[in-house]
Amino acid sequence: MNFNSGKWTPEAIRALIDEEKGALDPRIYTDQELYELELERVFGRSWLLLGHESHVPNPGDYLTTYMGEDPVVMVRQRNGSIKVFHNQCRHRGMKICRADCGNAKVFTCTYHGWAYDTAGNLVNVPFEEEAFSGFKKEEWGPMQARVEIYKGLVFANWDPEAPDLLTYLSDATPYMDTMLDRSEAGTEAIGVMQKWVIPCNWKFAAEQFVSDMYHAATTSHLAAVVAGLPPEKDLSNFEPHMKGHQFRAKWGGHGCGFYIDAARGSVRVGPIVDKYYSEGPAYEKAKERLTPLLPYHRMGASHMTIFPNCSFLPYGMNTVRTWHPKGPDQIEVWAFVVVDKDAPEEIKKELARQNVRTFSAGGVYEQDDGENWVEIQSALRGYKSRTAPLAMQMGLNVLGKNNPEFPGKTSYVFSEEAARGFYSHWARMMSEPSWDTLRPQS
Amino acid sequence: MSYDLRLKQGEIKGMEIMELVKPFKWAESSSSLELQHEIEQFYYKEAQLLDHSEFVEWFELMDKDIHYWMPIRMNRVGREMSQEYAPQGKGAHYDDTYETMRGRIRARVSGVNWAENPMSRTRHIISNVIIREMEEPNTYEVASSFIVYRNHSEHQADIFPGERRDVLRRSEGGLGFKIARRTILIDQGTLLANNLSVFF
Repeated sequence: MNFNSGKWTPEAIRALIDEEKGALDPRIYTDQELYELELERVFGRSWLLLGHESHVPNPGDYLTTYMGEDPVVMVRQRNGSIKVFHNQCRHRGMKICRADCGNAKVFTCTYHGWAYDTAGNLVNVPFEEEAFSGFKKEEWGPMQARVEIYKGLVFANWDPEAPDLLTYLSDATPYMDTMLDRSEAGTEAIGVMQKWVIPCNWKFAAEQFVSDMYHAATTSHLAAVVAGLPPEKDLSNFEPHMKGHQFRAKWGGHGCGFYIDAARGSVRVGPIVDKYYSEGPAYEKAKERLTPLLPYHRMGASHMTIFPNCSFLPYGMNTVRTWHPKGPDQIEVWAFVVVDKDAPEEIKKELARQNVRTFSAGGVYEQDDGENWVEIQSALRGYKSRTAPLAMQMGLNVLGKNNPEFPGKTSYVFSEEAARGFYSHWARMMSEPSWDTLRPQS
Repeated sequence: MSYDLRLKQGEIKGMEIMELVKPFKWAESSSSLELQHEIEQFYYKEAQLLDHSEFVEWFELMDKDIHYWMPIRMNRVGREMSQEYAPQGKGAHYDDTYETMRGRIRARVSGVNWAENPMSRTRHIISNVIIREMEEPNTYEVASSFIVYRNHSEHQADIFPGERRDVLRRSEGGLGFKIARRTILIDQGTLLANNLSVFF
């Protein structure tokens, strides 16, 4: 990687994010050259969420997805491990697999018939003896990515120099565990990916989930609240909750926000799922398991992003998604739902149904998010729109909001501390060529 | 990702996903001209309600046991085409009961559903109506095709084509029928729109 060519020198990139003033340059959402650098330096070097291990339960089960814009296949192996390899034949560059998911013994390129086993080894080349001389199949398999699993979530990374996943997740894991480690049984994904296209930059979505409880407590989701209220109630008694915290990971750009001591969440998840998450044996078990890490019983609705593009909503909303970049001004949302593996069947069904109602393409919450991001992207077509910095100052010099009951650095729930963490890590990934300086200092 | 349909059979109530892949099971003899006319007129009036933002009136067409369902579709290799649709409970764009639809309608007319305020302009074109009388009296299973066009904000234009598989019941008053089940087969895998804030 050459970090000193073109207009985006390391200095120019660092100048886009002013953490001390809390300002960011809108060109990070629009510039095609920056986007190309993101594919190489962010998506080519970070741990990226591909799915849940339960998406591929049996040997040969696969799903096709993307790392940045590179297509990959994620396959369960006979020995139980998961492999991720480039979904591209090394002969003429055709996709090896063109289905979304399924079960395969072998992947055969439909162009010239090169065949790969489920580990991604090139095992058959038609007319190899007649047409080639000394062709080495073992040298022409697809590129393999590193794969690691954190409590059911499957991540992959192209970069052999990148730190292992646990180091990469830094001190964010206790907050991930509020969704992933409530039970010793772990979680499972319910059903398949829902996919949709939003014409906006991927960072709007990732940043909202890392750092923005503000929109939920103000204007964005009033309609969704109405949708979740019992018929006899309306918004006249609605008061947003104001107590909670935001967490900024000490390394890596991850973050989350959460309410504490809030009213129960039936508006968001419906009364049945709310009950499961607020009382009874599953709740007690989660409390017991997680309390050594954080005061789980005090937390409520929360939002989280693992840098760069993995986001989720714990506490029964349980949507997990990858914001796949598709150019500086487009994403595909690939979302699925997780649930405690040992939850009763009726809870799993109800949670999945509530998720479709709330946080899905047609969800009463989700549809209003997409509207915001699309209109911002549209406004940023303007020249003047791209010249004035955007404000990211919430929490700057707001002192005394760190709550030592919660792990890591915390601030007030309506803050942009985690957004500043996200963008400053983005600027580091974009401007520092070596893991020698990037990796967390232990 | 594989579904063992044999194991999951008990879970899939209502419409089997295998049925969705196949053509609608029409009756050997066509329905009467009168019934055909009545049901087509019902659909045209329903489309008028949707295209003129009469969502509360549209919701009145739903029977109390409505299941309003749009399963996710996937790209599958030929031998796995029977698993093109996600089974019930395993991934959907809509999966609503009367209660949750009521919530959606309340949100839609609240004035603070920003995805629809300013409002989209929509057009529901309904055609290819085939009716099969069910054993239960005055109950009809109906297949129809739709194209829903949405124009939103300044430049946004979305086209959602697909097929509806409905169960309709005759009702007194109103538009003459209630919708007891609506299964929407949308002709997209990845939804090519920023949201689904429209009804089908």
